[in-house]
Amino acid sequence: MEERRPETSEYVIEMIHITKEFPGIIANDDITLQLRKGEIHALLGENGAGKSTLMSVLFGLYKPEKGEIRKNGQVVQINDPNDATALHIGMVHQHFKLIDVFTVLDNIILGAEDTKLGFVSKKNARKKVSELSKKYGLKVDLDAKIEDITVGMQQRVEILKMLYRDNEILIFDEPTAVLTPQEIDELMQIMKNLAAEGKSILFISHKLNEIMAVSDRITVLRKGEYVGTVNTADTNKEELSRMMVGRPVQLEVQKKPSEPREVILDVSHFCVPSKLHSRNAVNDVSLQVREGEIVCIAGIDGNGQTDFIYGLTGLEKSNGGSVKVCGQDITHLSVKKRGENMSHIPEDRHKHGLILDFSLEQNMVLQRFMEPEFQNGQFIRFGAVREYTERLIDQFDVRSGQGPITKVRSMSGGNQQKAIVARELDRNKKLIIAVQPTRGLDVGAIEYIHSQLVEQRDEGKAVLLVSLELDEVMSLPDRILVMYEGEIVGEFNPKETTIEELGLYMTGAHRQTKEGVTGE
Amino acid sequence: MKKEYFFQKDGVKTILASLLSIVIGLLAGIIIILIVGLTNDSIVPSSIWDAIRLVVFGVFNKGRDAATGALMFGFNPTFFGNMLFRAMPLILTGLSVAVAYKTGLFNIGAPGQYLAGTCATLFIALSVPTSTIPAWLVWILAFLGGMIAGALWGCIPGLLKALLNINEVIACIMTNWLAASLVTWAFDISNLKNVLEGTKTGYIYKTSTIINDIMVDGVQTISGANIPEGATVLATRGGVVTPKLGLDSIFTGSQVNVGILIAILLAVLFYIIMEKTTLGYQLKACGSNRHAAKYAGIMDKRNIVLSMALAGSLAGAAGSLYALSGNTEFFWTTYQSLPAVGFTGIAVALLAVNNPIGVIFSAMFMSLLNINGQQLTNLTAYNEYITDVIIAVIVYLAAFMLIIKMWISKKKTRPKLASPVVANKSKEVRK
Repeated sequence: MEERRPETSEYVIEMIHITKEFPGIIANDDITLQLRKGEIHALLGENGAGKSTLMSVLFGLYKPEKGEIRKNGQVVQINDPNDATALHIGMVHQHFKLIDVFTVLDNIILGAEDTKLGFVSKKNARKKVSELSKKYGLKVDLDAKIEDITVGMQQRVEILKMLYRDNEILIFDEPTAVLTPQEIDELMQIMKNLAAEGKSILFISHKLNEIMAVSDRITVLRKGEYVGTVNTADTNKEELSRMMVGRPVQLEVQKKPSEPREVILDVSHFCVPSKLHSRNAVNDVSLQVREGEIVCIAGIDGNGQTDFIYGLTGLEKSNGGSVKVCGQDITHLSVKKRGENMSHIPEDRHKHGLILDFSLEQNMVLQRFMEPEFQNGQFIRFGAVREYTERLIDQFDVRSGQGPITKVRSMSGGNQQKAIVARELDRNKKLIIAVQPTRGLDVGAIEYIHSQLVEQRDEGKAVLLVSLELDEVMSLPDRILVMYEGEIVGEFNPKETTIEELGLYMTGAHRQTKEGVTGE
Repeated sequence: MKKEYFFQKDGVKTILASLLSIVIGLLAGIIIILIVGLTNDSIVPSSIWDAIRLVVFGVFNKGRDAATGALMFGFNPTFFGNMLFRAMPLILTGLSVAVAYKTGLFNIGAPGQYLAGTCATLFIALSVPTSTIPAWLVWILAFLGGMIAGALWGCIPGLLKALLNINEVIACIMTNWLAASLVTWAFDISNLKNVLEGTKTGYIYKTSTIINDIMVDGVQTISGANIPEGATVLATRGGVVTPKLGLDSIFTGSQVNVGILIAILLAVLFYIIMEKTTLGYQLKACGSNRHAAKYAGIMDKRNIVLSMALAGSLAGAAGSLYALSGNTEFFWTTYQSLPAVGFTGIAVALLAVNNPIGVIFSAMFMSLLNINGQQLTNLTAYNEYITDVIIAVIVYLAAFMLIIKMWISKKKTRPKLASPVVANKSKEVRK
C-alpha cells in the first residue's frame, strides 16, 4: 500500500486516513476505504457510525480535517459536489434530493439539460430516460410530479438520475429501503450488471441479506471508527452484525405465541379516495386487530397502504365504511380525538413525525403539550417537558448531540426514529399503528424496535403494522394481510406461508375470495 | 455539559450581526455625506463635519449656538420624546410582521391592516358622543375597535391560505389595496369628512378636537368648541386622546404619550406568548411543519388564521394608537398610496431577526434615524434622504444576516475548535 504507483492503481477510489470532526463529536476517525474498479463494495455500520459523513466527504459536501482522496492512484481535491460530478462520482442520497413541484423527467435532467438555441430540449432526454427505465425495470411516470408519486417511485427517480449521468463510481445510500422484494432483486441484478460493465459501486446498507447477496467486499464502521474490511465470501451475517454493533445480535424476532383477546380496531368496508385517479385508493377494506396481536399489512409500495393509514388516523378524509377503536366510532372524528386511543408511528418521519427545526424536547410533547402534566394555565411547564424528555432519552436510548435541546434536524435518522417510537409508545394507547417503523434503520435499532413492539403486544396492546420489508413481514406479525390495489387480497399466518406465496398475492397474481383462491 | 463560549451563543451572534449591519449602514451614510460634500463647492468642510455628527447623533443635538453657530450636543427631551413617539407604530407593525414570520407566514399586509385599524379607530373616536360616554371609555372602544378591524383584515389572507392554499403574500398585497380603497370610500360616504380644518381637504380632524352637534334655527349642523349664540348642543364628540401620564414633562415639547408603553407592553406580551405558552408552541409548530402539526392533532387551519389575525391586530393597533395620539391628522383619500409605516415594519422585523423584544430596539433605531434625518434637513445643506439610504443599506445587510452570522462564527470559533482542550473533550463525548 505504501509504494507509489502514480499512474495506475487497482483502486479506482481510495479514501486514506480520513478524519472529520464536528463540534463535540468525531464523525470519522482515521477511516480508510478502498474501492476496486468493477466491484460492489458495501459500507456497513449502525446509524451514526459515520457512513453518511464519509460519503459526504467523498461527495465534496464536507472537508475532512485529515486524510486524502485518490482517484486511480492520484490525489484529488473534492471541494464541492461539482468536483465529484466531474470525477464521475454519482450518489443516490438516503433522503432524496428532488424538487417536489417538478416532473420526474425534469428532476432527472436537472443540471444536465440538453439545450437547443438556449431552450431546454427534452426529446433526447425523454428517450434516454425511457430506455434506461425500461432496461433496468425502474418503472416511473415521467410526467408525474414528484409530490404526487410514492416514496418508492421517488427512489427510482433518484437511481435513474445517476444512471442518466453515466457515472462511473456509483454510491447507493440505502437504496433498497423502500423497494419491493422483486424490485430489490432487480436492483441487485442491475448493480451486478453495472459492476460487470466496469462501474464501481459503493453500497451503503444495514441489510445483511442484501449485502451478503450482492457485494464483493465489505467495510465495517462503528461509532466513527474503522473496524475492518472483509471479503464477502469469507464472512457471514453473524460475524458482520457483531462487527457492526460490537456485540452478538439477535437477528430473529423473539416472541411467544400471541393471545388475541378483545377487538380493538374494527374497520369495515372502509374506502379512501385517491388523489391521483378517480377510483378509490382504498376500497372496501374490512379488518380487525385484537388486543395482544400484531397484524401486518403487507404489499408493494403504492397499493393503498399509505392512504389507508391516512384515512384511519384522520390525516385524509375517508369516503365510505366505518372505523371503530375500542368500540367507539371514530370515522368522522378529528385527529386529536382519534389520538385518545391510538398512537401512530408515521411512515414519513420528516413530513409527519417530527418538526425538524424544533428541539428534541419540543418534539417529545408534540401531541401532549396541552395535557395538565405539561401545561400550567396557558404556559408550558418547561421543567416537566425537560424531565419527561430526559426520561424517554434514558429509557429508549435516544442519542443526540446536546440531549433535550438538540435540534432534531441534526440527529441521525435512526435516533430520530427512536425518538418517535419513544414518544408514541410512551403515550400508552390501546392501538399502535406502526408504518414502516424500521425503515432505513440498522440491525441494532431494528432489533430494539421489534422487541419494543412485541413487548407492547404482550402488554395487551393491538398493533397494526404496515411494512414493505419481507423480512419484517415474515418475522414480526402474528397475522399478515396482503393489500393489492387498495383491497385486502389475502390473509396469512406467517408460520404457514412463504415469501414466494406472499409475492404472488402482492403482485395481484392470486387472490383469496369467498369462493376460494383465484388466479391459480 | 460543555461550556458555551460567549461568541458562540446564537443570541449573541445575532445581536452582533444586527449591530454590524447598523454600523456598516451608518458608514455608508457617512461616505455619501463625504462624497456629496467634497464634490459640491457650496458645502464647506465644517458643514460636512456637522452633517456626519448629525446623522449619527442627531437625536442628541440641541441646535446651534447663537453666538458661534456651532452645533451643541446633549440630551434633547423633544427629539428623544419624538423618537419614542415615532417608534410606537413601528414597534407594532414590526411586531406584526415578526409574529407572523415566527409562524411561517410572511405578513406583507401590515399596511392594509394598519389602515383598517386607523379607520375603525377614527370612526369610533369621532362618532361616539363623549357627552354620554366618558372619553376614556371611548378611547378604549376605539383602540379595541382598531385592533379588531386589523385582526379581521388579517384574517382574510389567513382564511385564503388555510382553506384554499392561496399564498398569503399575494392575498396580503391585494387586501392592502382593497383596504386603501375601502377606507377612502368609507370616509367619503360618512359625514366625518366634513370635519375639516381651514382650507385643508381630504384630511380627518385630530381625535383631540371637540366637535359639537348643534341645532341652529331648527337646522342640525356641527361646530367646533365655540358654540354659536342661540344654538342648542345635541351631543359632543371627539376629545379622545391618549393620556401622557407625565411623559410630556420628562420629554418636554415632544408628542410622546402612553402609546409607546402600550407598544412595548404588547411586544413583551407577544414574546411571552410565542416563547412560553402552548398557544405559541402550536403556532410555531404549524409554521415549521404543517403536516406534522396536523399529524399531532393540532388544528393547522385554525392556527394559520389565528396567527394572521394576531398579526393583523398588531398592525391595527399601530394605526389605532397613532390616530389616538390626538395631534395627528389623517389623510383619508388613501387609495393612491399605502402607509409607509406598514412596510417599514418588515425592515424592523428583519433587523430584529423576528424577535419580539428585538423589535422594540430596532423600531427605536429606525425612528432615531428618522429624527436624525430631519436634523440634517433643518441644520445643514444636506437633506433627510441620506437616512433613507442608510436604512436601505441596513435592510439589505439584515437580509444577509445569516451570512454575517456565519462570518462572525468563523472569526470567533475557528481557533477555539482547533485548540487541544476541545479536541480532547470530543474524544470523551464519543467514548
